Amino acid sequence: MALPITSNAAPAVKRMRLWYSFFMAIIVLFGVRLFYVQIIRYDHYKNAALSDQLKQYEIPARRGIIKAHDGDQILPIVLNQKLYTLYADPTYVKNPDGVAQKLGPIVGNKTDYATLLKTKKTRYVVLAKKISEQQSQQILALKFPGVGTIAQDYRTYPQGSLAAQLLGFVDDGGSGQYGIEQALNDPLKGKPGQLRAITDANGVPLAASQNNTQTAPQNGQDQVLTIDLAMQQQLETVLQKGVKDSKALSGSALILDPNTGAIKAMANSPTYDPARYSEVDNANDFQNAAVAKPIEVGSIMKALTTAAAIDQGVISPTTTYYDPSVWKVDGFKITNIEEDGGAGTRSITDLLNLSLNTGATWELMQMGGGTINQKGRDAWYGYLTKHFRFGQATGVEQGYEATGYIPLPAENGAGIDLTYANTSFGQALTATPLQMGAALSAVLNGGTYYQPHLIDQTIDATAKTTPVLPKVLARNVVAPKTSQAMIPLMQYVVAHHTIGPSFDQTKYIVGGKTGTAQIAKPSGGYHEDEFNGTYMGFVGGDKVQYVIVVFVERPTNGGYAGTAAAQPIFAGLAHMLINDSYVMPKTH
Amino acid sequence: MRPSAQRRQRSVRPESSDLGRKHRPDYWLVMLCAVLLAIGLIVVYAISPALSQAAHVSNNYYVGKQLLAIGLSIVAFIATSQIPLTTWRSYARPLLIFAGLATVIALLMPVNPAYPAHRWVRLGSFSFQSVELVKFAALIALAGFLAEQIKKNMLNDKARTFKPLMIALGVAGLFIAGPQALHTQSDLGSMGVLVAMFGTMCYVAGLPMKRLLMIVAVIAVSVVLLILPSAYRRERLMTFVHPASNCQDAGYQACQALIAVGSGGMIGLGLGRSVQAYGYLPEAANDSIFAIYAEKFGFIGSILLLGIFVAFFARLKSIAERAPDDFTRLLVIGVLAWLSVQAVINIGAMIGLLPLKGITLPFISYGGTSVVFVAAAVGLVFQVSRYTSYSVPRIASDLNKRRDHDDRRNGRRLRGAYHPDPGSRARA
Repeated sequence: MALPITSNAAPAVKRMRLWYSFFMAIIVLFGVRLFYVQIIRYDHYKNAALSDQLKQYEIPARRGIIKAHDGDQILPIVLNQKLYTLYADPTYVKNPDGVAQKLGPIVGNKTDYATLLKTKKTRYVVLAKKISEQQSQQILALKFPGVGTIAQDYRTYPQGSLAAQLLGFVDDGGSGQYGIEQALNDPLKGKPGQLRAITDANGVPLAASQNNTQTAPQNGQDQVLTIDLAMQQQLETVLQKGVKDSKALSGSALILDPNTGAIKAMANSPTYDPARYSEVDNANDFQNAAVAKPIEVGSIMKALTTAAAIDQGVISPTTTYYDPSVWKVDGFKITNIEEDGGAGTRSITDLLNLSLNTGATWELMQMGGGTINQKGRDAWYGYLTKHFRFGQATGVEQGYEATGYIPLPAENGAGIDLTYANTSFGQALTATPLQMGAALSAVLNGGTYYQPHLIDQTIDATAKTTPVLPKVLARNVVAPKTSQAMIPLMQYVVAHHTIGPSFDQTKYIVGGKTGTAQIAKPSGGYHEDEFNGTYMGFVGGDKVQYVIVVFVERPTNGGYAGTAAAQPIFAGLAHMLINDSYVMPKTH
Repeated sequence: MRPSAQRRQRSVRPESSDLGRKHRPDYWLVMLCAVLLAIGLIVVYAISPALSQAAHVSNNYYVGKQLLAIGLSIVAFIATSQIPLTTWRSYARPLLIFAGLATVIALLMPVNPAYPAHRWVRLGSFSFQSVELVKFAALIALAGFLAEQIKKNMLNDKARTFKPLMIALGVAGLFIAGPQALHTQSDLGSMGVLVAMFGTMCYVAGLPMKRLLMIVAVIAVSVVLLILPSAYRRERLMTFVHPASNCQDAGYQACQALIAVGSGGMIGLGLGRSVQAYGYLPEAANDSIFAIYAEKFGFIGSILLLGIFVAFFARLKSIAERAPDDFTRLLVIGVLAWLSVQAVINIGAMIGLLPLKGITLPFISYGGTSVVFVAAAVGLVFQVSRYTSYSVPRIASDLNKRRDHDDRRNGRRLRGAYHPDPGSRARA
C-alpha cells in the first residue's frame, strides 16, 4: 500500500526528528523565558515602562484679564492672545534654503532662517516668536519635516501703552512683573490643572489609559480697575507735556478719590510699551515711580504739618505769629527763600502760601510747647506714622511698593532737632507720591484713612462679580473740624498763585500746596542747584472729590520747581477734571 | 550556489510521475498560515495610529499596504502551489541567477540615509528586499542539487559535493553578510537564516557529520571575522552580553523590547492599548512586532502564538517525513528551517535571549517582501502535501509505538489527507 520510498528516507527522517527536537527545546526555552519576563519579572518591567511612559503635565489656567472703567462702561485693558513660536529641529530639515525661502513671505524676512536651519549642533532652534494662528497654520500646511509651532498665551494691550507701569507685564515664564501683574499674580494666574498621563515617546498624552489622572485648571480671576481710562489718558497727556515743558528727567502724577481711596488715574513719564517690554533697556522704566520711588517730598508736607498742629490744638487756622525769618537749630540756620521778605507777623495762610520753612518749624515748636523738644518730636512722629501712616506700605495692588522713611524722634546726639525741623517742611524724610495723596485724602475727607487701591471688582471663572469695598486703615486721622479748616487754607494757596486759566472758586473748591524739594547727595548734604518739583492738591464741589499729587524730577526750566514745573501739571489735571465733568459743582 | 548549479546536468531532471498520485492537500497548512497572517494584520492595524502619526501618513496607510502584500502573497502562493514542482526544480538555476543579479542591483542602488545598508531593490514605487528572493531560489536549487547527489550516490564525494557547497556558501556570505565597508548588504541576520537553512538541508540530506562539523567551524571563524571589524556589531554583541549597561544608546531597542514584553504581564494591556508602539520601541511593526504583540496580549497570548507557530511547523515536519522523494523532503525541510530559524532569531532577540538582528517574524511582521516570499515557500510545501505517502518511513525507534499512533484519531489525522478509501470521509 505504501508508496516506494527512496533508500535515503529513513536516516533522513531520523536526522529530521533530531533536528526538530532541538527546535522544540528552543521553543520550550522561549516559553520558560516568557514566563520569567512576563509573570515573575512583571513588576520590574511594568515600573520600567511607567517610568518612561507616565509623565506629569501642568494644564495652564487662563490668566485673568484686566479691565477698567470708561465712563459707565467697563473695557478690557489687558487681554490674552494665543500666539505661536516657530521652531525647527535642524536634524530633520531637508533643503534648508528651500524651507527658508518659503518661510520668508509668511513670517517676514527679519531673520536669516537658512543659517538657523543649518545649525546642526542643536535640535531646537527658535525661528520666530509671536506669530499668529493664521501664520502658524500656513506654515504647518507646508508640512516641512522638522518644522513646528508651539502655542503660548501672550498679553495684549488694546489700549497700547496706557497705564503701562501700573499694569506691569507678564514675562515668558508666565510670571507677572511689576504693577498689578506682579502684585496680583496669584489670583490672576489661577491654579494650573494637573495631568498625569501615559504619553508617547514625544511626551504627547495618549487618549485612553486607566493610569491617566487629571485635575482641571482653575482659571485666573479677572480684575476690574478703579482706573477711568479717559481720565488716565488725559493724565498721561498732561504729565508728558508737563515733564517735557519743564525739561525734567521724569515725572509722576496720580488722581485719587479721597472718599474711598480708589485711584482713578496714575502714571509716570517716561513710560514704555508693555507689548514690547523686552526691548526696554532701563529697568527703571518698568517701575511705577508713584508708588515705588520714595522721595524727599519738600514743602507739600507743610499742609500736613499744619493739619497736625491744628488737630493738636496748638495753633488755630487764624493764629498769627512773629516769624524771625531764621531759626538756629543745632547750630544750623533754617531760612526761607528771599522772595518771602524777612521777619514779620505771619498768618497760617501766609505760612502755606509763601511756603515758610521757618513757619513749619514754628508749628513743630508749638507741638512741643514752644521749642523743638522730645514732646514735639514725639507728637509729630505720631502724626507722621500713626495718623498719616508714613514709613509703611499702603498695600496698594502694585509690585515693589516702597515704604519711605521717617526718622525716629528719640534723641540720637546727631542733631535730631535739626532733622525734625527739616521733616516739618518735607526734608530728611521720604514718602511716595501715593502715600502723600492717601494722607492728604484722610486730612480732607473728615479724618478717615482709606487704603489706596486699584481694584474695583473681581470676576471669577464662573463670571461672578465681587466688588472690592473701600478698606479703612485708620480713623480719626484728624478731627472733622481740622478737615474743614484745611480746605480753605489750601484754597487760599491756589487763589494766590498765578495759574492760568484760574479756577472758579464759587462753583468748585480747588486747593493745593507747592513743593520745591532739595535733593540729597549720596555723599551727604544737598545739591545746590537741582530740585524736585512737587504739588499736592484737590478739586471738589460740596466736598473734596479728587486729590492730585504731582512729582517732577529735576526740572530745568527755571524758577522754583514746585511752582514752575509741578503746579502747571496740577492745574492741567484740575481743569481737566472740571471741564470733563468729573467734578460735581457746589450745590449751595 | 551558482557554481554548483552550473555544474549540474540538465538531463537528470526527474519525471513528474515520480511523485505518485495526487491527493487532497494539507488544508491545515493554509489555515494556520491564514491565522498567523490575520494576527499580524490585526497587530499592524492596532498600532497603525502610532505608525501613521510618526510617518505623517493616513491612518489606513499601513493596513492598506499590508493587505496589498497579502493579496500579492496569495498570488505567489497559487503560483508556487500550482506550477509543478518539477518545473520549479528545472528553473532553479535561472531563478538563482536572477536572485544574484537582484542582489548586485541592490548593492548598486542609492540607499536611504536612515538605513545605510544596500538591501533594497527599487523599481519606481515598488521595492523589495533581494535577500528574500535569494532564500527562495537557494531553497529550490539546494534541494535539487542535494537530491541529485543522493541519487548519484555522490553525497560523500569531496570534490563533487562538498566543494561546490562551500563555494556557494562563501559567495553568498560575501555578498549578503560582508562588511559594510565593501558596500555589501551586511545583513548578518538573513545570512544566519540562510546558513541555518543550508546546514539543516545538508544535515537531513545525509552529509557526513565530519563535513558538517567542518562547515560549522568555517562559519564560526567567519562570524568572528565579520563581527570584529564592525563597531556596530561589536556594540550589539556587547549590548546582548550586558543588556542593562546600555539602555540609552546601543541597547535601547533591546531594553524597550523587554519592557514591552514584560509590561504585558499575564493577560496583556489589550489590543488597542500598546504604549511602546508610540515611539518607544523602534521598528514596532517590523522586527519588533513580537514585543508589541506580547505587550498587547501578555503571557497567555504569547504562548498561544508560539503554539500556533509550533502547530504550523509540526505540519511542515509531518509533510517532510512523508515526502515522496528526496527533493520534496529537502524542499520542505528547507522551508521548515528557513521559517523556524527566522522566527527563533526574531523572537529570541525580543525576549533578550539572542542579540538583535534586523529580520522579520514570518507572517506577522509588516512588510511585503517577507510575506510574499514566505507565502511562496509555503505554496511549494502545499504542493508537496498533495503527494505525501500514507506511512512514515520506519526507523528503529518508531517500531514500538507505531501501532498505538495509528489507532488514535490524532494519529490518523497526522497521516494527512490520503485515505485508502477516498469516499469514506465524505460519508462519515
